[in-house]
Amino acid sequence: MIKEIQSFMKSILPEFYNHKKNVHYNSFYTFTDYWYLWTMGIFILAVTALSPLCIQALIHYQLIQKSANSEAILSAERLTSNAKRSITFFMKERLDALIFTVNEMGYERLTDNDKLAETLKNLKLGFGGLSDLSLIDKDGSLVAYAGEFNLEGKNYKCQPWFLHSLKKKYFISEVFTGYRDVPHIIIAVKSIKPDKSIFILRATLDTERLMETLTSYKTNDYTEIFLINHNGVLQTPSINYGNILTQTNLETVNYSNNTAVSMTNFKGIPVILGHSFISTDMVETPFILMVQKIKASIMHPWLELYRQINWIIGISIILIVIVISFASTFMVNKLYRLEMAKAEAMLQMEQNQQLAAIGQLAAGVAHEINNPLAIINQTAGYLKDLYRFKDGPKDDVEISDNIDSILDAVDRCGTITQQLMGFVRQFDIKIKKIRLQKIVSDVLSFHKKEAEYRGIHVTVSIPDTIPDMETDSGKLQQILVNLINNAFQAVDEGCCLDIIGSQMDDKTIQLIIQDTGCGIPEESLTKIHKPFFSTKQDQMGTGLGLSITYGLVKKLGGNISVQSTEGEGTCFTITLPVKIQEGTLA
Amino acid sequence: MKIILVDDEKKFINMLAKRLAMRGISADAVFSGDEAIKKITSTAYEVAVLDIKMPGISGLELRRKLSAINPDLKFIFVTGHGAANKVDKKIIEKDYYFSKPLDIEILIKRLNEITSSG
Repeated sequence: MIKEIQSFMKSILPEFYNHKKNVHYNSFYTFTDYWYLWTMGIFILAVTALSPLCIQALIHYQLIQKSANSEAILSAERLTSNAKRSITFFMKERLDALIFTVNEMGYERLTDNDKLAETLKNLKLGFGGLSDLSLIDKDGSLVAYAGEFNLEGKNYKCQPWFLHSLKKKYFISEVFTGYRDVPHIIIAVKSIKPDKSIFILRATLDTERLMETLTSYKTNDYTEIFLINHNGVLQTPSINYGNILTQTNLETVNYSNNTAVSMTNFKGIPVILGHSFISTDMVETPFILMVQKIKASIMHPWLELYRQINWIIGISIILIVIVISFASTFMVNKLYRLEMAKAEAMLQMEQNQQLAAIGQLAAGVAHEINNPLAIINQTAGYLKDLYRFKDGPKDDVEISDNIDSILDAVDRCGTITQQLMGFVRQFDIKIKKIRLQKIVSDVLSFHKKEAEYRGIHVTVSIPDTIPDMETDSGKLQQILVNLINNAFQAVDEGCCLDIIGSQMDDKTIQLIIQDTGCGIPEESLTKIHKPFFSTKQDQMGTGLGLSITYGLVKKLGGNISVQSTEGEGTCFTITLPVKIQEGTLA
Repeated sequence: MKIILVDDEKKFINMLAKRLAMRGISADAVFSGDEAIKKITSTAYEVAVLDIKMPGISGLELRRKLSAINPDLKFIFVTGHGAANKVDKKIIEKDYYFSKPLDIEILIKRLNEITSSG
């Protein structure tokens, strides 16, 4: 499972996720911080792609906000106007009925309690909404009464409503408790008796009926409709503001016949408040109709729309970011691969140039050394000949040995110059079919005794399935000799040397030569292929072995790489073609 | 066997001539191509041992000129370069070729082979 997760992560993570700086390639990298490139790519693309989307979303939001506000105001205005018309009609209807009663019945008939009760009954039947009728004289004394309260003998001359009624022909009071000690509203009609003195017919409005009328406009729990007087005192109960006759903090405004709507806050909740003064064509009333709607309730459909748009925008943003991420990964991966290929090619080129340069140098050095060597050789040979062919002491072993030493030294120098010439010599190419196992075995045979003596564990793992190679056996042998010699020099007693062969594909064979020796310092890794570079401190090495090996591997159309950790060991990996291509050895 | 040695390395060629003489092979040592041409017109040599890289006339050019004078002349090349280039190799493919420093015994062996093969 963990492996599957790792495999999945590997497939979606950018290739540069595990980028490790390689000392071989460092100097050839143009870019080093691929994460920065990747994130910048995503950021720039995201800003470019998402900015218009976000701006559009913002504009859309503002449009929705405006439309929603406008719709909310319109809705509240409509409700207020409709409720106002109903309340106005309710008041006017009852006032008209009272006026009709006064005019129709006249003072004399109204003074008769029975007839007044009959009239109240008829009014209740015809219009409803009236709870009692009173006939009051100009001095405030109750003349006749029809209703459920016992108000006999009451005098109203000091009551505010009575004083107001005397001043106007028609009067509608605000809610007050009066003698009956129950909140009620009265409608009063002032008229003239036959003796020209005035009297007042008063009706008490059925507040339940009034509230029913108001409540009928309350379409949901988010809407409240109630009445206040001009001083802000509640005339009908309110869920939010309190019971009847409670002083509210609602600001009363100057009288206007028009419906007004405003946006405000109630206990921190945005509300739309509509108000309208109630007045009939005959009389003004003390009532202001208040409609309060919680804004969120009106905004709900708009908010739903906005939520849907937000979802679409959110999903779009996620999709865009995903696509951008993939695009950025794709581009940076391409760049990364190109960069890696470039660095590899540059390193290859650098190595080739170095090999070519040393080749030229080798030719010059060889020529310059070989000539004096030839002179030394011939001179020493001549001296030896003198003793051999002339009368000198032919049996002088010391002189003969010394001359042999000179000749041996010349031979050794000659070997070095021959090795140097390995860089430029056009070897006879002898391509033949060879078995890798045999070549490795032949080379190891030279080290068999040494391995036994030093206790070095040599293991060879080359499967029989590896096909025969068609290559230059001499060069391959030389490569193996050089690498195995190096390994033997690097390892101590009891160390291991593993030679592992494998087939990479139909055309390529890989050979790994790894030891558990002293390893190569990191700073030397880039130099080991350079001629005359040697890490062998006892001056045993000429510094040519690995550089020749690198050149030979190239000549055989292969590649060589090295990984090494100081103190842990070194691993040379060689890849070679199964069949060498014509022209590779040019 | 009469041979001519041509090399601008005087000490080397003189010493080689002396050592060959000790082994019964008559060898004239000359130090340039021009001297070799002069010498060959007056003396019948069987083998010419030539250095490839010489000032003035190179070993390969000298071979051509000497062949023109004496078509039967055999050639052995000696060079401090250790190897001839591809074109050179084509020209001298029928000739023997030694790198310096050379082993006189092997040289004599080759000389004998050349002269005996006729």
